[in-house]
Amino acid sequence: MEGTTTGTIERRSFLKTAAVGAAAIGAVGTAFTGVARATSPQGHLSGDQDLHLLRRATFGLTPASVARIRQIGRERWLDEQLRPSSIGDRACEDLVDRLPQLRISMRDKYETQDFDWNVMFALGQATIIRAAWSQRQLFEVMVDFWSNHLNVTNPGDHGWYNRHDYDRTVIRKHALGKFEDMLIASAKHPAMLHYLNNLSSTKDNPNENYGRELLELHTVGVDGGYTEEHMRQSALIMTGWTIDWDTGLFRYDGSDHYRGPVEVLGFSRANDSGPGGQDLALDYLRYLARHRQTAEHLATKLARRFVGDEPPSGLVDALADTYQANGTAIAPVLRKLFRSTAFRSSIGEKVRRPYEDVIATLRALRYKADAHGTGGIQGLYWVCESLGQAPLAWSPPDGYPDTAADWRSAGGTLDRWNTHMSLAAHWWPSEIRRPKLESYLPKRLPATYGDLVQDVAKELLFVKLPGEQRDAICGFFDRGAGSPLHDDDAIVTWRLSHLVSLVLDTPAHLLR
Amino acid sequence: MSTDETAITPCGCPDYERGMTRRSFLKRAGAAGLVAGIAHETAFSQLAFGAGPFTGDVLVVLSLRGGFDGLQAIVPAADPDYATWRPGVGIPANALWQLDATFGMHPAMVDLQPFWTDETFGAVHAVGMSEPNRSHFAAMEEMERAAPGSGLRTGWIDRLLGTRLHESEFQGVQMGSSLAASAFLGQTPELAMWSIDSFGLSAAYDDDELARWDTALRGLNDGAPGMLSEPALAALGALSVAAQITNAGTYLPANGAVYPDTDLGHALTDVARLIKADVGLEVAAVDYGDWDMHVDMGDVDGGWMVDHLSELSGALAAFATDMGTAGMAGVTLVSLTEFGRRIQENGSGGTDHGHGQVVLMMGGGVKGGQVHGQWPGLAEEDLVDGDLAATTDYRSILAEVLERRCGASAADVAGVFPDLGGDRPDVVQQLP
Repeated sequence: MEGTTTGTIERRSFLKTAAVGAAAIGAVGTAFTGVARATSPQGHLSGDQDLHLLRRATFGLTPASVARIRQIGRERWLDEQLRPSSIGDRACEDLVDRLPQLRISMRDKYETQDFDWNVMFALGQATIIRAAWSQRQLFEVMVDFWSNHLNVTNPGDHGWYNRHDYDRTVIRKHALGKFEDMLIASAKHPAMLHYLNNLSSTKDNPNENYGRELLELHTVGVDGGYTEEHMRQSALIMTGWTIDWDTGLFRYDGSDHYRGPVEVLGFSRANDSGPGGQDLALDYLRYLARHRQTAEHLATKLARRFVGDEPPSGLVDALADTYQANGTAIAPVLRKLFRSTAFRSSIGEKVRRPYEDVIATLRALRYKADAHGTGGIQGLYWVCESLGQAPLAWSPPDGYPDTAADWRSAGGTLDRWNTHMSLAAHWWPSEIRRPKLESYLPKRLPATYGDLVQDVAKELLFVKLPGEQRDAICGFFDRGAGSPLHDDDAIVTWRLSHLVSLVLDTPAHLLR
Repeated sequence: MSTDETAITPCGCPDYERGMTRRSFLKRAGAAGLVAGIAHETAFSQLAFGAGPFTGDVLVVLSLRGGFDGLQAIVPAADPDYATWRPGVGIPANALWQLDATFGMHPAMVDLQPFWTDETFGAVHAVGMSEPNRSHFAAMEEMERAAPGSGLRTGWIDRLLGTRLHESEFQGVQMGSSLAASAFLGQTPELAMWSIDSFGLSAAYDDDELARWDTALRGLNDGAPGMLSEPALAALGALSVAAQITNAGTYLPANGAVYPDTDLGHALTDVARLIKADVGLEVAAVDYGDWDMHVDMGDVDGGWMVDHLSELSGALAAFATDMGTAGMAGVTLVSLTEFGRRIQENGSGGTDHGHGQVVLMMGGGVKGGQVHGQWPGLAEEDLVDGDLAATTDYRSILAEVLERRCGASAADVAGVFPDLGGDRPDVVQQLP
């Protein structure tokens, strides 16, 4: 596979693949005609609401997560997940501790002036570790969501000293808190100030990059009703928010702040002092965070993430109301979403994206991290990269697209099949640890091929496959569903990894 | 394109045989009824009654994502306002390779000079969409939808391919990415791949094993939602052809061409391989991004813009050299970007989002060696919100290419670009 070298990711260019991002704004609509006799999406999964919630609110089912939700029920499970600090996660944090690079402070790293990318690569690995092995799964899913919403590409040119701190003090700190706080924290953070160039935007020479994306991507959205003039005023309001080049940290410079009346989407101020510019910008960010268009924009994105590619407008309105009624708090919106009828009736309507597929595959196969070090985790990072979705690595500021249409791809489908095979067979990465393949088999082999296929599907995916898929898998081994199974047959010996890979290639695993 | 033989021989795999049989059959029999009957057999075919095998130019669409600052590439040096707006980053007139009384080419594009001279490389200036759009994402979506004022939700390349028979899985290919551009959005399946050599099933170590996986994976997708099964079936349909190209050994570009060892160089190499292998490629899309130069674009002597223009020019020159004069006679390459840049440089040594842009074109049928288009000027009153005005609708360029080079009828073009109107910029020759 090409594109798995450090050099390549360093060269990976801004906006390179952004066309697909654009498609996210549109919708699946006409894109897929389906096959006339297609099984309904629900038919590939089952109507089990516990499993549905786990597929959407986590990075994939594990026996432990299924046992937990069965034990305490969906409501309590959701309560628990929305209070992540209540969930012990020592084992996962021990793994993250293998990446000591992440413990350096922004300021200390800046002082080295070494510009090396080690901290950023460590962050990519830590993200994978947490997605795969954290018990705080909904929190990690939301970290992924916000990291894309307020995207600062990792690794990226200017993130070498600050991107890990952005992850900790902007995204993780507020992922289940208030959006208003997260937005302000992002606007102030050196990572964002660098990424969207606000640090060099001054009254005499405004740079519009941040001022535009603040409206278009971070808050009210491209259909939020702002004009080109509003966009320019947005940039002027933010002038003076820059960094101190001695420390690399945030600094407000009133002498660079534009003075004069400003007006954006009903926010207007006299703006007649330089020092007052910092409070002006804070007011502006709070105003935007609480704007109805922002509420609807975020509600749409959350519903697209958790419910369907074309979320119902009734749900979006209800979520936007909840967001506004709770002062931009995120957890109440999620609670509302997961309790909605629209959510309950959306089984099978989302397709796993490549990164979600890799992590769900690790979880389905009960992979463990490396015994020591992080060589295998690094390998996983390159697996995700070669599938086109290394965590945090989307180059344009709009974050990875989130609909099936955006990811439809013949080459991408092949890559997924190959990844399933590689992880099923434990070809690579070799340092991460897979249980023995036989552990996926029942203690006593069933009598027929068909029953064996269903046993493995149940063990890994918690579903029963439609009969045609069961038969297709049996056919791979030159047998039918009713063929008698012997304990020295290829399917349970040298071709067992093929069986596992094929089960992972079914819609039941590709959907979430 | 040759219609009497292909560079590939069948491998014996069942699917390949099936594909070849259909393809060969279509070449021999032109009878409309038979063709329509075959078309209905395949899940993918558009209604293309009576359409024959495609014989026009291969269209290569090069997307310069991020907002390509064409004013730094095909520079309006003789426009007195250029240097005024760009005192810092502007390219001085005496550094340019003079193209005509108004324009000069950036010296970093030196590799393309021979093609300008032999008139197979040209440019159209002051091109844009009918409505300015300065958002990367909205502009790209709108540009690739290419149907302003309509509710269409498909991409223009998809609609174009929908006017033709779907004879080959390689009809429309996004090369260099496993994600297809939104211009492909719609019913006609496209192939998106990182590279030809990476396009394979790792577990299928021989033809028998490939057939085994192929059958099983088709079975798993029988009844799967279309969003899963359509790309899956496209992939399976293309596997054996890709394997044969790969198995033919290391590719040696012709005529001493040397592609840059970059993503763009690799992608254009693979486009050339597909064209030469005659696998039925009709439209190839390649991306070359990272043009969003808000800060530190550099000056004429070096920096971001110089590096980017050099890589772009080197890759395009290598592609044209590799294809050769005869090969390029059947290729039209067009560059697009979502918007041009603000004429006034910003305070960070870069330029912000703008409107009017430059389109670069290569091919044997291109009326090269000229800067086409109507130059609107750069004086304050000539600008649109501070940006170069667009005097040529980018769709009129594409429409002309489709009409004159790619065998599209007026009705086809009306379907691809609804409500476009009849103006054409006269930038390519009529295919004989």
